[in-house]
Amino acid sequence: MSLLELQSVGRRFGALQALSNISLNVDQGELRAIIGPNGAGKTTLFNLISGFFPPTEGAIIFDGSPITAVNPAALVRRGIIRTFQITEIFLSLTVAENLRAAVETAMGLNLRPWVSRATRARIEARVAELMDIVQLTAKADRIAGELSHGDQRVVEIGIALSRAPKLLLLDEPTAGMGDEETHLMTALIRRLNKDQGITILFVEHDMAIVFGIADRITVLDNGSMLAEGNAAEIAANPRVQSAYLGNAA
Amino acid sequence: MVLLLFNAFNGLIQGAFYALMALGLALILGLNATINFAHGAFMALAAYFAFTIFPYTGFWGALIIAPLLAAGVGFVVETTMVRRLYTRKDPIYTLLLTFGLALILQDMIRTIWGAQGQPLAIPAMLNHPLSNTYFFVTGYRLFVVGVALVSTGALFAVLRFSRIGIRIRAGNSDLETIAALGVNIYLLRTINFMIGILFAGVAGILAAGQLGLNPNMGDSLIMPAFVAIVVGGVGSLLGSLLGGLIIGLASGIVTTFAPAASEVVIYVIMGVMLVVRPRGLLGQEGLFE
Amino acid sequence: MSTPSSLSRTDAAATTTNPKFNRRVIGNLLLGLVLIAVPFWLPLVGGYTDLASRVLIYALAAMGLNLLLGFTGGLSFGHAAYFGLGAYGVGLMLKYETHNIFIALLAGTVLGGAAAALLGPIAARRRGIYFSMITIAIGQMFYFIAVRWNSFTGGYDGLTGFSRHPVHLPGLTLPMGSLDFYYMVLICFGLGAWGLWTILNSPLGHTFVAIRENHKRLTFLGIRTQRYIAISFAISGTIAALAGGLDAMYGNFTSPNVLEYTLSGNFLIIAVLGGMRNFWGPLVGAVIFILVRDYVSSITHNWMTVIGLIFVVSVLFFPLGILGSIKDWRALISPRIREQDAP
Repeated sequence: MSLLELQSVGRRFGALQALSNISLNVDQGELRAIIGPNGAGKTTLFNLISGFFPPTEGAIIFDGSPITAVNPAALVRRGIIRTFQITEIFLSLTVAENLRAAVETAMGLNLRPWVSRATRARIEARVAELMDIVQLTAKADRIAGELSHGDQRVVEIGIALSRAPKLLLLDEPTAGMGDEETHLMTALIRRLNKDQGITILFVEHDMAIVFGIADRITVLDNGSMLAEGNAAEIAANPRVQSAYLGNAA
Repeated sequence: MVLLLFNAFNGLIQGAFYALMALGLALILGLNATINFAHGAFMALAAYFAFTIFPYTGFWGALIIAPLLAAGVGFVVETTMVRRLYTRKDPIYTLLLTFGLALILQDMIRTIWGAQGQPLAIPAMLNHPLSNTYFFVTGYRLFVVGVALVSTGALFAVLRFSRIGIRIRAGNSDLETIAALGVNIYLLRTINFMIGILFAGVAGILAAGQLGLNPNMGDSLIMPAFVAIVVGGVGSLLGSLLGGLIIGLASGIVTTFAPAASEVVIYVIMGVMLVVRPRGLLGQEGLFE
Repeated sequence: MSTPSSLSRTDAAATTTNPKFNRRVIGNLLLGLVLIAVPFWLPLVGGYTDLASRVLIYALAAMGLNLLLGFTGGLSFGHAAYFGLGAYGVGLMLKYETHNIFIALLAGTVLGGAAAALLGPIAARRRGIYFSMITIAIGQMFYFIAVRWNSFTGGYDGLTGFSRHPVHLPGLTLPMGSLDFYYMVLICFGLGAWGLWTILNSPLGHTFVAIRENHKRLTFLGIRTQRYIAISFAISGTIAALAGGLDAMYGNFTSPNVLEYTLSGNFLIIAVLGGMRNFWGPLVGAVIFILVRDYVSSITHNWMTVIGLIFVVSVLFFPLGILGSIKDWRALISPRIREQDAP
């Protein structure tokens, strides 16, 4: 069953057609990669799905209902959560405090100037659970700003998980990471997908990762869809090869 | 009717002072990312410099030299203190620094020149009413408007046509990029700070010619100048200019009907503006936020 | 990966946070004892009780301001307005309406708090430098109202003709001299500090801090941050108003000076000097600021220069404030100590 469906979606900025005629289905539980050369429209596509701006053509269906003109905050409540190319976390708070702020927001407690012991315990339990999932329990009391870049991205994913996403959008999750960090991040993405059952859509430049973990791959080029398929199909696709070779720097 | 004209004209003069102050503040706010609380103190300092050099240079010489001397003090302040805070993102530090400097400068003025007010003589040729009915239109007041116009015109010309002006404008919209292009942004910021102080200085001498000198003379102008910036729109020099004139005029007109409300009205204008059009008359969305 | 029962992990978390929590509680209790004992030890070191009252009043105002400044990231340069409204509220109530100082204090606090609640949302529409400029200008509006509304407020000369009346309790009359008043201030300070502490340890306080840290992140989690900045503004203004009300009773006098931006600047430097990211920073800042001002103004006419130097030196050399710097030095010795202190 498809969780996210894009029907001939396009986006125009003035004279610039950033995306045109994108149709894709992401199944429940799928781990889908979006690849393409710089300027292919990957981030624009993310911005459309997460409601930062509406498409100028076509429709987006999520979980059975149209979300074409729904604002980002409402989409967050419906379960579409994203991360950003630039890590957005609470830098001078500890890891636990980062997640606690996110968990309290997810529980809708923000306006509460005090909480009962029971609620506090529920919050802490959920924070502990999230730290466990992203394997940051050992770093719970470390200041997020002092963590490595890779760990900061993991914190951001932890924050995203606090809202129990149905669809997680990761914008270049391994950008700027060393080999070991990249390895941990890909392992995390795979765990989130397989163990937690979260449907994940991610933009990635590193082909080794994409071919290694994605169930299916969508290739964008110049704002339109070039190909779609599993790793073997994409690797064998001559149009993809020429697009990448043509743009190889 | 004459009373209304009288007050409106007064308001316009007042507005010219606000605008001069607001322009300097807006320049410094833009490129130096600093709310310069010491602006009023710099203004007073320039006026007292003028008072001191007056016997040697006369009014006209003082009008030119005293703002430059104040800008010299501005140079020292910017290079030794303000500059060290650019890397701290929180605006609180420059704000508190300039606030502290304002206290120190005012106290120094009081110590050196005395706490009492002093008159600043203005040339006799400027001191005559131009007509009997409109007694309030003195040559000096027209002169104030004239100097304000000329210096503002000069500023806009410099910003538009000179290399340094073009860089200042470019730096306002994207400091990182012009730094990457090899422009010495430290020097640029220093010059910009000094130009801002020059404007405070000119305003100070003009105001001293009209109202006399006193160590706190900047206090009554700096707040309206902030309001002028908010009303005109942060990030727009032209907006600051208009904002200054508008609130000066409004305050003058209100004086006719409700003298007690003449100061409050400018804050009411600001409040209405913030509700109706939060970015101000000509402000850019999202600047300095 | 399997997820074991969350209960055991909560217990583990509780035991790791408990010692820290206990140390804080003990520290706060000690501080409370020191403050309660002020009238006994202060004269021994050459102070007088009224000075301590003044320190606590300024500390309370600056702690209120610091909820917005240090913990929500909103630089208000107009908190004198709410302090001043509290002061005028108390003065006018005592002069015209009531002899009950508690009712007057409540009225002043509500007046200042209501103004902050109404005006906060306007300021909260903008962020950064713009926010500061708006708060400055709003604050000045009240200054001019107080100056111009002569018949009601006493204009430039200030409001006189009211006093702290004795408090009649069943079987006991408190004359409200310096000593009684100090304890009244201390109780208000304690209530204010307790309220702020509670809020900062609640989801609401965590939301404030998260806004300070990264308002974009929070917006993407579905939070309308403006609303929370306005709430922080209102709470912060209410505490400042409470302090202002006490200030009016302190000298049985209030004047437009309590509404002026200079006082807003003093509250800010008190918070920054002590350490604006630290809960007790404003108290430390107030102790130093008031003592230095009191001492310096008694020995030189140029005390304004000294105050100005405090601003300049603390901004240039102690950006973290005194408590923040102490934490920093300790962190150099023992890396496990947190640089910041969201309580």
